[in-house]
Amino acid sequence: MTVSLISLILLCPLAAFAVFGLLGLVNRRFPRQDYLSTAAMLIALACSFLLLREVVPKPEAHTVNWISLGNVTFSMGFYLDSVTAIMLIVVTLVSSLVHIFSMGYMHGDPRYPRFFAYLSLFSFSMLFLVVSDNLLGIYIGWELVGLCSYLLIGFWFEKDSAANACKKAFLTTRVGDVGMFIGMMMLFAKFKTLSLYGEGGIFALSASQLTTGDMVWLSIAGVLIFCGAIGKSAQMPLHTWLPDAMEGPTPVSALIHAATMVAAGVYLTARMFPILTETSSLVIAYVGGITALVAATIAIVRFDIKRVLAYSTISQLGYMMLAIGAGSYVAGLFHLTTHAFFKALLFLGSGSVIHAFHAMHAHGHDDEHEHDDSEAHEHTHDQGDSDAHGHEHSEDADSGHILGSEIPPDQDMRNMGGLRHKMPITFITMLIATLSISGVPFIFSGFWSKDAILAGVLGRAMEWNSVHHYILFIMALSAAGITAFYMFRLIFMTFFGEPRNQEMHDMAHESPLSMTVPLLVLAVLSLPVVNTLWFNADYVEPPPQPHLHAPTHAYIAPDTKTGRTGLALSLFGVSEAVAAEEDAGHGTQDAHADDGHHGHGPAHTIAMVLSICVAGLGILLSWLFYHRRTLSAESVTTTFRPIYNLFWHKYYFDEFYDGVLVALTVWKARLFAQFDGSVVDGIVNGVGVVTRDILAAFVGFFDNRVVDGLVNRVAQVTWAVGGRIRRIQTGAIQTYLFVVLAGIVLLILIFRAL
Amino acid sequence: MTLQHYLVISAILFTLGIFAVLTRRNAISILMGIELILNSCNLNFAAFSRFMTPEDISGQIIAIFGIVLAAAEAAVFLAIILAIYREFGSIRPNEVDTLKG
Repeated sequence: MTVSLISLILLCPLAAFAVFGLLGLVNRRFPRQDYLSTAAMLIALACSFLLLREVVPKPEAHTVNWISLGNVTFSMGFYLDSVTAIMLIVVTLVSSLVHIFSMGYMHGDPRYPRFFAYLSLFSFSMLFLVVSDNLLGIYIGWELVGLCSYLLIGFWFEKDSAANACKKAFLTTRVGDVGMFIGMMMLFAKFKTLSLYGEGGIFALSASQLTTGDMVWLSIAGVLIFCGAIGKSAQMPLHTWLPDAMEGPTPVSALIHAATMVAAGVYLTARMFPILTETSSLVIAYVGGITALVAATIAIVRFDIKRVLAYSTISQLGYMMLAIGAGSYVAGLFHLTTHAFFKALLFLGSGSVIHAFHAMHAHGHDDEHEHDDSEAHEHTHDQGDSDAHGHEHSEDADSGHILGSEIPPDQDMRNMGGLRHKMPITFITMLIATLSISGVPFIFSGFWSKDAILAGVLGRAMEWNSVHHYILFIMALSAAGITAFYMFRLIFMTFFGEPRNQEMHDMAHESPLSMTVPLLVLAVLSLPVVNTLWFNADYVEPPPQPHLHAPTHAYIAPDTKTGRTGLALSLFGVSEAVAAEEDAGHGTQDAHADDGHHGHGPAHTIAMVLSICVAGLGILLSWLFYHRRTLSAESVTTTFRPIYNLFWHKYYFDEFYDGVLVALTVWKARLFAQFDGSVVDGIVNGVGVVTRDILAAFVGFFDNRVVDGLVNRVAQVTWAVGGRIRRIQTGAIQTYLFVVLAGIVLLILIFRAL
Repeated sequence: MTLQHYLVISAILFTLGIFAVLTRRNAISILMGIELILNSCNLNFAAFSRFMTPEDISGQIIAIFGIVLAAAEAAVFLAIILAIYREFGSIRPNEVDTLKG
């Protein structure tokens, strides 16, 4: 039953793509590729829901041998546990909604059918990655989703920026993939298998075979595999491709670069959970934590609505990595799920906004001039707030000479404003997603998952009494506050206030039904309905981590003998935590000073209170800056100019890569070109000259003089001798007879003489 | 009459035959020279048979074979000469030179 279901889930999207591909071979098109692809995804979605019931409660694996080389066998197969089932739901659900949304969004595109075919191929690859039970299958799916991402980012390849972005995405993720491949080979070299589960799988073998001496080796392997996740999930320092990937169509951004593919890195890291060691866990947690914080700060100063969301995605992915690195397996995956829904919603919502402006964009003359008009307009209507105008203006001036020209006018938040009346459904749904991602308590799913992560990190910090985890907790907490700030900045700039660009505002309209329905569905999913899956302790159980040991200096309180497993499950202790709230009191900054005596209960309470506080603070500041305008962003900007510049330039990562890596590569290439031009060509040409002018000349001379001479001499001699001898042959028979007779006589005389 | 007489006559015949073959321009004359040579040989066979091995007549029989052979040879030779004459209008060997390179 499960096998047929899972086959159906995989084969439906593949078939939809195959129809496109096979008909493409004979230059034909299926008449309604969009319906076909969407139907395939809906079938897969239905199957995923059926599967969700099937796999409870114990994991299933179905494996067949694929390739045998000598005594090494590569297998292919499915591994189904509750996490797989949830991932299947997430992927098929978001994918289905994006398919439906795309019917409206991509309507009228010249390559409309191809878009759906690519989406189908992507869905297949992602599902394949999710269900694979071995690293080889995961790697195949991994590269396939990378390919689809490349194809879809560059879907509008007529635009140079899109063509460059897809190359950048492909190459940057490739850097990580190389690391992942090396990591896989390290595991393969040790265990002679790439299967993960079962008796002969890597997890079982690593638990039984490895000794403490192998920990360094295992840490390196774990970090290398995590490199793949760094690339794919756009973690620091390979995050730069994701914002550029926003050049792709917005549904693609929603599906691939927010909800599913980028989450594959988190999924992979979670799959590798059992072989993570203390060191590799810490590396993962730090990468995640730094990414979460840095990306969030960059997002504050973006004006392109999609870039804000892109950096927000990076930041949230960092959160998930942090969770997994800190041992909060369930929290990380839980956040992955909730994030997939609310981030897909945000992207589709921004797509809806962009779509509303698309008509303007088509006119194509919305440039600085009109923008100035809108500024003037705002000025007249917004008399009481000259501050705000000034602030807008200064940022404008900033962007004008640095990046402003890169932002398409229909994605520029400075052209938006007041859209909540024009696009009520988009506004309401995006507001729900924003509340969710900002961590507004209790009725939004994002709060629960983010809180679970914070609690998990703090819990680990208390349990292990580890400075690292306290630092990570502070990072995550700051990122949470900043997230709330910039997300509300987006909402205020887009949907509130006065329209800043009257012409575009007049053109704006609510999107068609095919686009608003997915928004509404996703809005429902951003409420804590998915939590039921994760809050059921029987359903998801974090795998054990045999190689992860608490540091020796950690003080383990007597009452937390349940150990790590209990800790990782701490999010299920929400109710206990709430109950324990009174004895922990309201969380204060001093709570950090608490040692591990209280176990995870207090950690959870503290984390929850703190996260509510920072979220509230972020929203409040955002409201003051961007709606009430009682605080001036401009003055803050001028006061902290260097920091603002740092954020604006995205920590100079692109500049660093351009200036160092790209320049180094180009320099190296030039050097090699020079080497090639002078030395290699020199050698080749030199050999050529020597061969032609010396060796060939000598051989030619020998051939002409000696060989030809010999042949000619032989011919001449033969000719001359023949000329002489022919005289004998007169043709007169009597002469011959005479000679014969003379010969006989001569012979007789000779014999007589003898 | 001793063996020497026969041999001398045979030598004279042979020499005359050779002379004819070497000097005559006419093919018929050459044939006649050849006949002389053959007959000098026959005479030799007969003479040797008579004087050296009187009781054995195989030498004389060979002479008879030689005569038969000469007859057959003359017939073929004349036929060839006729054909040559028809082709070339001459029976002088010097003028039959189409095989000459």
